[in-house]
Amino acid sequence: MVHNRLIKNYLVIGGIVILLMMVFGILMLLAQGGGLSLSPPTFYQFMTIHGTGMIGAAALAASAVMWYFLSQHVTLSKRIFKANLILFLIGLVLVIIGVFSFDYASAWTFLYPLPTLSAKAWGIIGALLYLFGMLIIGIGFLLLFIDTGRAIIRKKGSLAKGLGWDVIAGKKAEKDAPEPAIIAGTMVTIVNVTALIAGATVIMMNIIHTINPAFTFDPLLAKNLTYAFGHVFANSIIYMSVIVVYELLAKYTNRSWKANKVFLIAWSMSTIFTLMIYTHHMLMDSVMPKWMLIIGQVFSYANGLPVLIVTAYGTLMIVYKSGIKWDMSSGLAFLSMFGWTVGVVPAIIDATIVVNHVMHNTKWVPGHFHMYMGLGAVVMIFAFMYYLAKVDGGLKITKLDWIAFFSYIVTMAAVSVQFLVSGALSTPRRWATHTPEWMGPALFGGIAGVFLVIATTLFIVHFVRYVCNET
Amino acid sequence: MVQTVAWITSLVFMLLITFIFLCVAMKSTEKRDYEPIKKKWYKARTFYGVTLVVFMLIITIYTLRELPYDQPVYGKGEDPTIVDVEALQFGWELSQSEFKVGEAIEFHVTSQDVNHGFGLYDEEMNIIAQTQAMPEYTNVVYLTFTEPGTYEVLCLEYCGLAHHAMTYQITVTN
Ligand code: HEM
Ligand SMILES: [Cu+2]
Ligand SMILES: [Cu+2]
Repeated sequence: MVHNRLIKNYLVIGGIVILLMMVFGILMLLAQGGGLSLSPPTFYQFMTIHGTGMIGAAALAASAVMWYFLSQHVTLSKRIFKANLILFLIGLVLVIIGVFSFDYASAWTFLYPLPTLSAKAWGIIGALLYLFGMLIIGIGFLLLFIDTGRAIIRKKGSLAKGLGWDVIAGKKAEKDAPEPAIIAGTMVTIVNVTALIAGATVIMMNIIHTINPAFTFDPLLAKNLTYAFGHVFANSIIYMSVIVVYELLAKYTNRSWKANKVFLIAWSMSTIFTLMIYTHHMLMDSVMPKWMLIIGQVFSYANGLPVLIVTAYGTLMIVYKSGIKWDMSSGLAFLSMFGWTVGVVPAIIDATIVVNHVMHNTKWVPGHFHMYMGLGAVVMIFAFMYYLAKVDGGLKITKLDWIAFFSYIVTMAAVSVQFLVSGALSTPRRWATHTPEWMGPALFGGIAGVFLVIATTLFIVHFVRYVCNET
Repeated sequence: MVQTVAWITSLVFMLLITFIFLCVAMKSTEKRDYEPIKKKWYKARTFYGVTLVVFMLIITIYTLRELPYDQPVYGKGEDPTIVDVEALQFGWELSQSEFKVGEAIEFHVTSQDVNHGFGLYDEEMNIIAQTQAMPEYTNVVYLTFTEPGTYEVLCLEYCGLAHHAMTYQITVTN
């Protein structure tokens, strides 16, 4: 591959940041579990860096997965791909300085007006470093997705055709449907350009408010924009990464996984629903128009359908009695689809308004997204790393990799389920301290997390060995 | 209790999904032609898809009948007690903190500074109701206590470094 160098840089940086952020995750759980003493300011700084770093790094690595497969079908700009990486690193440095040198701790959702009104816990400089850092990272990604959109339109004529709407309409035969990489690329382009514009807008609103507090904004509008950005951007990670599952499992099973009409309709549904359902983050804002909140529930349910009926089902079908050769990459790819599917369950349950009424902002929420991210999205990225190391570097896997594989499943599941149990016990999320009744699951998760980090380290080491061999 | 129902339902479906993925993984190394598998399982998918959609529709209709946003229908001459709740970094101000069992209450919740979350916990520390406390807006929680006891308000939206210290006690008597 021509642009391997850059892809590798994306993945090494993404992988190492994910690993480091896991350490902060463990420290938080141990602190909540009573096994470690962290001052609340330190806890909330860790929480801010963990959320920001995880979403940023996973999105970075996922965009490399997408870029790798998409560039086999359309002509993408290498310069923009490189610019995004550089902007990411600049932004990351600003964020780190803001959080650790200037005590900034608004959580990665920087909900207006918290960046400015911190009860004097952090100052203007910390807020500006963090917000500008986020803005720079966002601009990098925005450039990247404008470029993927441009390239897809060039090749296909329009984004609608990238989603295969001409095939759905029957104007074109199913066999001429776009490749899965193009379909996913189009979906992600549409949702992320929208999300990043919403995000950049609200970040700039926060920046202006920080510089000149007399300048105020509507907090409800800010909340809508923040969740429109955060929900969509975080969700796009799995839609970028899943391309590797399509490509890998088709190769490993020697069965074709091409887009047909049902597949196309599923991806169009995902595109529209992903944009619509951010309001499920606002179910506890009764001042919102009621119809928007009902949409939040109804379409959150509907958004489960493409995964449950098409993607997960397709995974099961293609693997069933296929004589597949299991190795780390095919194993991780299959695992990731399992993780995505189970993670959908607690998400849908919590999107039910009457349930959300007693579970919103409890640890149930991190419960569902650690499952979906940790057993799903991130695992897809690891699958891609093993795949590259194998096809490009010819690197053999060892027993140790397999031990890491199974430990990862058990420990990541433990970390996710402990959050869910806490949520069912009404433990609030984002609390630096827990009452004794709440401590058990957190402590258990913190200990499981230590082994999880060891397993992840082995994954990353394998990939770094490949990268070093090559050069 | 809603939390228990949510947890059990999730657990059942998560275990079911685990079981299905495990079964397929066990059957994966056997090798058969793809065409007949596709034919058979596409047919099964139609059935599965329809069942799932119908199931979701039923749950949707069932769970949307009564929403926490709706003001309850008060009996004749029954006036709800309106409680003004104001959140601020880092504490709660309630216009009233002692209530009677069976008294219809409306908490009108807002904030002086940033976003907070008004979370009401019962004596066993289970959440019974919540809403966001937002600057410039007022969200309403409708509630009638059915048990006497000491209830607690906890902050359920991250609001800064003393977020976890934002608690307040409410007493409900017979
Ligand atoms: C060793 C693995 C991990 C551990 C132990 C861990 C632990 C934690 C903890 C303790 C929290 C705060 C929970 C609370 O609200 O009280 C948290 C939040 C979060 N985690 Fe993780 N995590 C891990 C992996 C991941 C992964 C893989 C991702 C995503 C790619 C992720 C994304 C997030 C996000 C977005 C938040 C929200 C931060 C916020 O509330 O502002 N985590 N995690
Ligand atoms: Cu608060
Ligand atoms: Cu708070």
